[in-house]
Amino acid sequence: MVPVDRAVAAEVEAIVAREAFLLDTRRWADWLALYADDAIFWVPAWASDDGFTTDPDNNVSLMYMDKAGLEARVFRIESADSWATEPLPFTAHLVTSVLVTATRGAELEASAAWLVRSFARTRGATLRGGRYDYVFRRAPDGLRIARKTVYVHDDRIVGALDVYNI
Amino acid sequence: MPDTAPSEFDPTGYIDERPGVFRVHRSVFLDPALFEREMERIFGRSWIYLCHESQIRAHGAYVATTIGRQPVFVIRQADGSIKAFLNACAHRGAALTARRSGTARTITCRYHGWSYAADGRCVMIRAEEGFHGSAIERASVSLAAVPRVATYKGFVFGCLDAAVDPLDEFLGDARAFIDLMADQSEQGMEILKGESVYMMRANWKLQTENSTDGYHVATVHRSFGTALSFRDSLLGTGADDPMKKTEAARILTLDKIVSGAYTLRNGHMINWSTRGMPEAVPLHERRARLEAVHGAEKVRWMIDRGRTVTIFPNLLLNDMASTCIRIWRPIAVDLTEIETWCLAPIGESAAARRARIRKYEDFFFPASLAVPDDVAAMEGAHAGSQASAHVWNDLALGRATMIAGADEAARALGVEPLTSNPGRESETAFDGFYREWRRRLAS
Repeated sequence: MVPVDRAVAAEVEAIVAREAFLLDTRRWADWLALYADDAIFWVPAWASDDGFTTDPDNNVSLMYMDKAGLEARVFRIESADSWATEPLPFTAHLVTSVLVTATRGAELEASAAWLVRSFARTRGATLRGGRYDYVFRRAPDGLRIARKTVYVHDDRIVGALDVYNI
Repeated sequence: MPDTAPSEFDPTGYIDERPGVFRVHRSVFLDPALFEREMERIFGRSWIYLCHESQIRAHGAYVATTIGRQPVFVIRQADGSIKAFLNACAHRGAALTARRSGTARTITCRYHGWSYAADGRCVMIRAEEGFHGSAIERASVSLAAVPRVATYKGFVFGCLDAAVDPLDEFLGDARAFIDLMADQSEQGMEILKGESVYMMRANWKLQTENSTDGYHVATVHRSFGTALSFRDSLLGTGADDPMKKTEAARILTLDKIVSGAYTLRNGHMINWSTRGMPEAVPLHERRARLEAVHGAEKVRWMIDRGRTVTIFPNLLLNDMASTCIRIWRPIAVDLTEIETWCLAPIGESAAARRARIRKYEDFFFPASLAVPDDVAAMEGAHAGSQASAHVWNDLALGRATMIAGADEAARALGVEPLTSNPGRESETAFDGFYREWRRRLAS
């Protein structure tokens, strides 16, 4: 672990909480604005019984998207034309144990544990959880997400798994 | 035929087949007694896909799966051959491995410590002398083998019925279509790392139907088409790399595309459609080399046409946007576990590999832009089948254009389907699956 200024730690905790809030309140444009233009959003798949895929160029991931991919996800949600996404489940992101794990120049890394409860009247409740690894980059008006890795611990996916419920 | 539920074990009543009509009774998705019969007569007696041989290259490498509801594992032998065993200790039945895959030249039961070699022989019984005077001797207990295991071009199948016809006979004309995926590299094919398992609250046959159903694509996957067209427009995709292009927008006009559907013997089903941009296919870079080996017609089938190959009862080889193997494991009459893998040619370029993986993630995973909508559709069909006022699914689309035997495209590949249809949106290929299903239930 690295010694981290309390103000920096608070700033990181705030943006992590803000992302959860924007997803849960479906403020998609504001959510996208948290991401740098060259951001990568990566959800590794299970590689074996002991861990997750590590090489998105040679292994299959659950998701590996640039910002255009994230925008396509939002387009799809807003189109209300996806059977799995309509009606959209209500979600509650519980993100905790946020820890800054590295700092280097304009970038810093953080990790957090997450649980998301989704509820749709068509399916009932689903609960899944895992870990987030973030890379943040400092912009003039605050932090941006340069990279987010979402480890989903559930190995059998129940219900749709999308950007809003992981 | 009356709109009443057929009697339990008379499979003829589930299908209403008359000249020009083929209807399936919706209780086939709902009846628990019928499900038990399917486990016994179909999954207990058919060849069932187990794994791809690239997953178990080394001696002792194994993969765990199921045949129907029977847990089994497939394991590579010292001599390079492949065996499969029930995943249960010969002693008191404890599951030998809880893992999906691994390597074990000696398999030790964690319950009482009996150990087995990779060939199933028991090599150690702890406190063996205590069994003296009983029927248990090391030489007489071994793992229960899956009686038949056979491989076709890397695809490993097993059957619980020792008397089953040879795998080659069962696959029949489907082999020509499997070849179109298996022969994409002279170095062979490999499963890429990255697991995908998801649950569906619906009967397993809805996935068999969905896998070969071209008709749902323009509706259920419209949102896939529009979302990817939107993404393509953001990227101005393709200027630098044609493989980054997608053909997603064509989903919206499938009825205008030259395509076809076949019913093959033994319940296998094919559908295919002409690709608009063969240069977007990761395999396109190998075109000249493949033509030199396989000839222009086979490569036309490989690269210029997307295909779904549905093997009776629960295997799909899909070579449309990317290359996918999918199986669906029946858990209960209304619950199915689905697993998919990306199959790739060994030796393809890094750019082709990357493009193949991204296209696979776009469509084939439970986190993709397509599969969640399929699952929602199949769950919707299952839920709607509970409605008893109208109980027949009339598989009527394309019945007037169906012909007996091969069409020109099938003849060019050297196969003789039972029926051909010049339109992948037709529903007529399902006939062959349901006839085979009925035959096996009755046998």
